[in-house]
This record gives sequence, C-alpha cells and structure tokens, in this order.
Amino acid sequence: MKNKYEPKHQFKEKIESILKNKEDIEKYWEISRKGIQRSIRCNTLKISIEELKKRLESKGWKIKHPFKDNPEIMVIESNLQPGELGRTIEHLLGYYYVQEIASMMPIIALNPKPEEIILDIAASPGSKTTQAAAMMENKGTIIANDVKLGRISILNTNLERCGVSNTIITRHDGVQLYKRLEKINMKFDKILCDVPCSGEGTLRSSPKTFLMWNEKVVKVLSKMQKKLAESALELLKVGGEMIYSTCTHSPEENESVLNHLKEKFNIEIEKINLPIKCRPGLAEWKDQSFDSEIKNACRIWPQDNNTEGFFVAKIRRLG
Amino acid sequence: MNPQIKILNRKEKKEIEKKTEKQFGIKSLPYLLFQTNKGKIRGYSGNLSREEIQTLLKTVNIEINGIYLFNLEQDGQLRISHDAVSLFKDKITKNIIEINEEQADKFLHGEDIYIDDQETKSIVVLKFQDNLVGSGKLSQGRITNFVPKERRLKN
Repeated sequence: MKNKYEPKHQFKEKIESILKNKEDIEKYWEISRKGIQRSIRCNTLKISIEELKKRLESKGWKIKHPFKDNPEIMVIESNLQPGELGRTIEHLLGYYYVQEIASMMPIIALNPKPEEIILDIAASPGSKTTQAAAMMENKGTIIANDVKLGRISILNTNLERCGVSNTIITRHDGVQLYKRLEKINMKFDKILCDVPCSGEGTLRSSPKTFLMWNEKVVKVLSKMQKKLAESALELLKVGGEMIYSTCTHSPEENESVLNHLKEKFNIEIEKINLPIKCRPGLAEWKDQSFDSEIKNACRIWPQDNNTEGFFVAKIRRLG
Repeated sequence: MNPQIKILNRKEKKEIEKKTEKQFGIKSLPYLLFQTNKGKIRGYSGNLSREEIQTLLKTVNIEINGIYLFNLEQDGQLRISHDAVSLFKDKITKNIIEINEEQADKFLHGEDIYIDDQETKSIVVLKFQDNLVGSGKLSQGRITNFVPKERRLKN
C-alpha cells in the first residue's frame, strides 16, 4: 500500500533539482521521514536560563544547550509523552516557548536591540515576536501585525503568556499597513518579514504537508510574498535591516522573491552568521539565474542540522 | 482614534496604583496604561510616546496594546489578570492564598477551589510552592477560577 504521506512526484523532482547531489538527496529523504527533536526557548523575560534548566532537570528531563552563544535554546533529550512539553506548569507560566530550532534563526539574524522600533509584519502565532521581545528586554517597540482576527487572538495569547508588554498588535494586510503608516511617515529600524509559505521545510513536524503541497499554491504564494516583502521594505528606514524568511525550500518563494526586491529597490543582501550550518542561496535554478548577492542568503536544510528546513536572508536598505 | 482605547493620564494612573498597592501591595506600574471601554487595563512598556501612540491609534487598526494587567470591576476592585500575577510575582505581597498540590492541579484545570475562610470577600492571588499560579475571586470560602479557558490544562 502507498504511504499516505508519500511525496508527490513533482515535489520529489523539485527537491532533486535543488539539491542535485544523489547522496545529499538520500539524506534529505531519510531525515524528512524522522520526527523532529524537541526544542524549547527559555523566555528570559520571566525566568533565568539556569533556573529554568534546574526546574526542568528536577522532572528528570535531560537538557542540552546546542549553541554556546545562545544558551536560551534548549533541546530535551529525554523521551517525553506526546503533548508533555505543553502541559508543564513552567509552560503554563510562560517560562519557555516550544519552538523548532530553525524557526529561531530569523530573529537571531535580526538581532533586535532594546531601543529599536521593530515591525513583525506577519506575526502570528508569535514565536518570533516573543523571541524578539525577550532580546529587547520588553523595551523598544514591536508592531506585531497580522491580517486575521483568529490569528491575532492566538498571537495575543502567546504574547500574554510570555509577559510581552512592548508590543502593539495591528490588523492589516501588508499593503494596507504600508499605505496607512506611510501617511504618518513611520519607518522601522528593523523588520521581520517571515511570510506565509508552502511549508516544505516543516515535513518532519507536519508530514501532511506532503499531501497538501502543490505547484499552483507555490506560484500563488510567491506572488503574495513579493507584495508583502515590497510593502515591508517600503516601511524600512534607509540603513535599516529586514529579515526575509520562509519555512520552505522553493526557489519561487525564496531566491525569486529576493531577486524581485533587488530589481525594484536599492538594497544589499548581506551575509549572516547563524549558529547552524547554512548553504548559500541559489545562483540559478532551472532556466532562471539570480542576482549574485543572493548567495549571501542562508538555506537551512534538515539533513545538515537535524532541524526543519528554513530560508533566511538579511536585506539592508541603501536608499 | 479608536474610541475603545483610552490612554490614562498621570492622575488616573495614580488612582490605579493606589488600588494595586491597597489590594496586592504593588506600589508602581512601570507602564503607559490604557483602558478599554470594558474596563480592561493594559500596560505598554515600549518607547513610543503618548503622542506617537495617539497618532498610531488614529492611523491603523490597533487590536491590542501592551499586556492585559487588570480589570476594573463594578465594585471598584481591581481584578488582577492571570498573566499579571506572574509579571508582578516579586511585588505582590497582599491577598495571597497558599494552596496545596491537589488544589493547584484543580485550579490549573479551570476548577473553582474551596477554602475554610468564609469571611473574606476579595480578589486573591494563588500561590503553590514558589509559584504564583493565577488569580481568583474569594467569596464565602469559594475561589472562582480566573484562568483563561485557552490557558487551562487539558488533562
């Protein structure tokens, strides 16, 4: 019988057209069928890393800090019951956020500071907003935007649980938000443009993506991502930084969007230092070639890091 | 401007702080305070000025500002929110009720709990071991649970 989560033929072809190397492709499929390691991020707004670790270890959990410079990131090496991470009193009190390691990388790249004004243009469910607020020590300001009320409700629940108080939640689509903020000439020091995407990088935690994926959706998303990223860039100060990120491998949703922005704006795509292995953005794919700066973007592959897949690019506005 | 959100002035903030000190021992609130037309008081700790926020309120759809701290009840008391309890865990000194493990488990699952005190009628903060786990309304020995539905333990 066919596995119900067997990838579609076009999806297989696409991954192979990006990775090319046979051994690499095999490693990709092998890890894509394995469950994801359990990772959390200590919410330093509410508890110290040492205190949280002590409390979790007292439950018999084995905790590992995979990155020396980011001790707030913890991997739980013990076998836990399904849902156990979300049922502890520490989770209820907002002492940690259950978050996949690759999804923590955009904010590490953004490196928000306490005095800055930040825009998170597609903020729900709030994993990255809460991470930014913790790095900003609840100072500065985050405008956390999303488009649907239901998503805003989830975002608000997570912000409140984590004790985030430097945030203003707005409800607009990206274009609308840009048009409104343009009227008062509001510009941001830094912007997170973590766009809705086809989720190809989330196969390990959400194998249903294998079923839901289709090429049409990728094309539609690519158009929407270009619009959203354009609106976001319009709101960035000259000299400011924007992180464009997705949890997908599709060049249409990654390099192609950056290429579009590069053609339209006076920007530079800068190198990023992340604590996990990154591969450069693609120089070409199928019949398309991309701007040479796009190689500075970071492709995070699950087989390199034992994480999910992600794409992160740092854009500086020059004029 | 969004008519549902009002930025409290210095005098109005002082009035709220008088209540927080009287009820919970919280002397100061290091926030810009907002009050909604339903009596919810929210605190914003960011660096935008009152004027900048007013301009924003006129320009964009602001759904939520800062964090929900208190609700001004009809009897004039402040109901401290579930999350404000852990936010002010080092400042709360009054109206704390210590509960045992069984009571804490019930409370975190959303159940009301019962204590021997039949006299006190007030908003209380519940403490289990070193944790302030939430708030409730004590009346006739019953503590009505204020843990938001979406935050309750499920099993």
